[in-house]
Amino acid sequence: MIAKKIIILACLFLVSNFILHPQQEVVMSIKEGMPLIHVAIPKFSVKDTSPEAKDAADILYKVISDDLKYSRVFSPLPKNYYNYIKPLDPDKILFNDWESIQAKLLIVGQVSKQDDKTIQFEAKFYDVKSERFIRGKTYQAEKSILRLAAHKFSNLMMETYGEPQIFTTKVVFISNRDGNNELYMMDYDGHNQTRLTFNREKDYMPAWSTDGKSIAYTEFKGGNARLYIYNPFEGKRKLVFDRGTSFGPCFSPDSKKLAFCSTEDESNSEIYAARSDGTNIKRLTFNKSADVSPSWSPNCREIAFTSDRSGSPQIYIMDAEGSNIRRRSFGGNYHDSPSWSPTGDMIVYVSRVQAVFDLYILNLRTDEIIKLTEGYARNESPGWSPDGRHIIFSSNRIGTIQLYSIDYDGANLKRLTSKGQNKLPDWARN
Amino acid sequence: MKKILILSLSCFLVIAFFASCRKKVEETPPPPQVKEQPKLEKVEKPPVKEPILTEDEIFAKKSLEELNAEKPMMVILFDYDKFFIREDAKPILQNNADWMKKWETVKILIEGHCDERGTEDYNMALGEKRAKSAFDYLLSLGISSDRIKTISYGKSQPVDPGHNEIAWQNNRRDQFAIIEK
Repeated sequence: MIAKKIIILACLFLVSNFILHPQQEVVMSIKEGMPLIHVAIPKFSVKDTSPEAKDAADILYKVISDDLKYSRVFSPLPKNYYNYIKPLDPDKILFNDWESIQAKLLIVGQVSKQDDKTIQFEAKFYDVKSERFIRGKTYQAEKSILRLAAHKFSNLMMETYGEPQIFTTKVVFISNRDGNNELYMMDYDGHNQTRLTFNREKDYMPAWSTDGKSIAYTEFKGGNARLYIYNPFEGKRKLVFDRGTSFGPCFSPDSKKLAFCSTEDESNSEIYAARSDGTNIKRLTFNKSADVSPSWSPNCREIAFTSDRSGSPQIYIMDAEGSNIRRRSFGGNYHDSPSWSPTGDMIVYVSRVQAVFDLYILNLRTDEIIKLTEGYARNESPGWSPDGRHIIFSSNRIGTIQLYSIDYDGANLKRLTSKGQNKLPDWARN
Repeated sequence: MKKILILSLSCFLVIAFFASCRKKVEETPPPPQVKEQPKLEKVEKPPVKEPILTEDEIFAKKSLEELNAEKPMMVILFDYDKFFIREDAKPILQNNADWMKKWETVKILIEGHCDERGTEDYNMALGEKRAKSAFDYLLSLGISSDRIKTISYGKSQPVDPGHNEIAWQNNRRDQFAIIEK
């Protein structure tokens, strides 16, 4: 039944695409991922009877459950499964019970009040089948940053399975919620939205440095569009380029280089690369067409970008020195904003058809294209999560421009912002 | 007739002479007490002659903000996705060039803008191309290149917040800002 539905949907999809892009061959592929690891997360026990510890246990439980559900690595068991077995006794775990409800891993958490401000959270996880303790940690955190403690434990689980620790990474973006386009930062899940700049100038197109400590961005001020590198944690700022309109920065994954665009030569946008501190600027593209939106390959040997050298904006790849340029998007007449996946095999980009923007993923190995978003809206500015399983982007589907995340296969669409208009997200690698 | 006139005049003179003599002899009565009524004078601001400023002096007096608020250089509009100078923009650019020729010290910034129906990235390049088109056109009309700077704002600064054809047309534009005079 489900298979039939998928076929019908796929047919509809293919037909609709044939109508919209007569020349574009669209092949849908359902990527076979690793099987999800089923995790049992019984409610965390509270060692003392303080209401603080109880509230903290609820928060920690919720954050860890949400993290693991989002991970596409782990899968928390449905809650009703727990009704079939005895409640957990942390001192005497009946692993057979947990195995009977198909848990591979069991998380045991205990929460207590350390003092008026601080909560102690002891978290462990076990392999159910072998009845073995795998890893654990005791976290002490002030009540205001309990979410961070929970994310750290989720990271510990990811690390154990060789996965990038994405749950403490931050997203930088532009918001006008306070009346002016300023830089903001938030957790990957949309919590802790924090304003970073108070300059009353218009800020634009931010990008994290590879270590997640600095942000390159454009500031529109006094008739200039200058590119800066700003460290919001130390409050230091450095000018990178002040000629022409400079924009669209992207740091290389090896943290050595910074690619960006500038219109300094005859008002034509070209791609430049500097050292990651902004020095030693070299021009990479030389032609009369517009070249924008550079994005490094994970091995830093290539750069994907947009160029209108064929007459319309299309996606190209060049070697990191600017040579060996080849076109990678065909059909359709408007493709832009490529972002190379950290796994190296995919490029997500925006395609415009009759003023509707949707995100597509190009598989570089198979040349297959997957349409990621659907909806009569402008979905744009896509960027990858550090593990390549999720994509953050902006969309005006609810009327205002907001940030969303979606998985690489189109699952789990989730809105992350709601105040003002929010756009141009960039997800830190660290 | 003449005799009569002379006679009567001399009679009059004689009578007048006597009358005046009598007056001197008699004591004059004190003048009647009359309430004093000073003459009214309206006090007005002394008329100051307004100095007649020349156009140059008026221009020199204005700040850049005041000057820009008057929008002496008009906006030009573009077609969707395009950056060529439309026929309806040519007379506007001619006026802008004339104004720049009149005020030879003026330096301007041409801001290229786009509508929301292009992507953030590509619109930055397109906005700059729109600014460059106006730059080239002004050059062809004899304006020196060192008086003009260009910038692109992409679609980040729409002038019309709407989401319809009219708003999109209004937003696909070059604005001319005076940055020096």
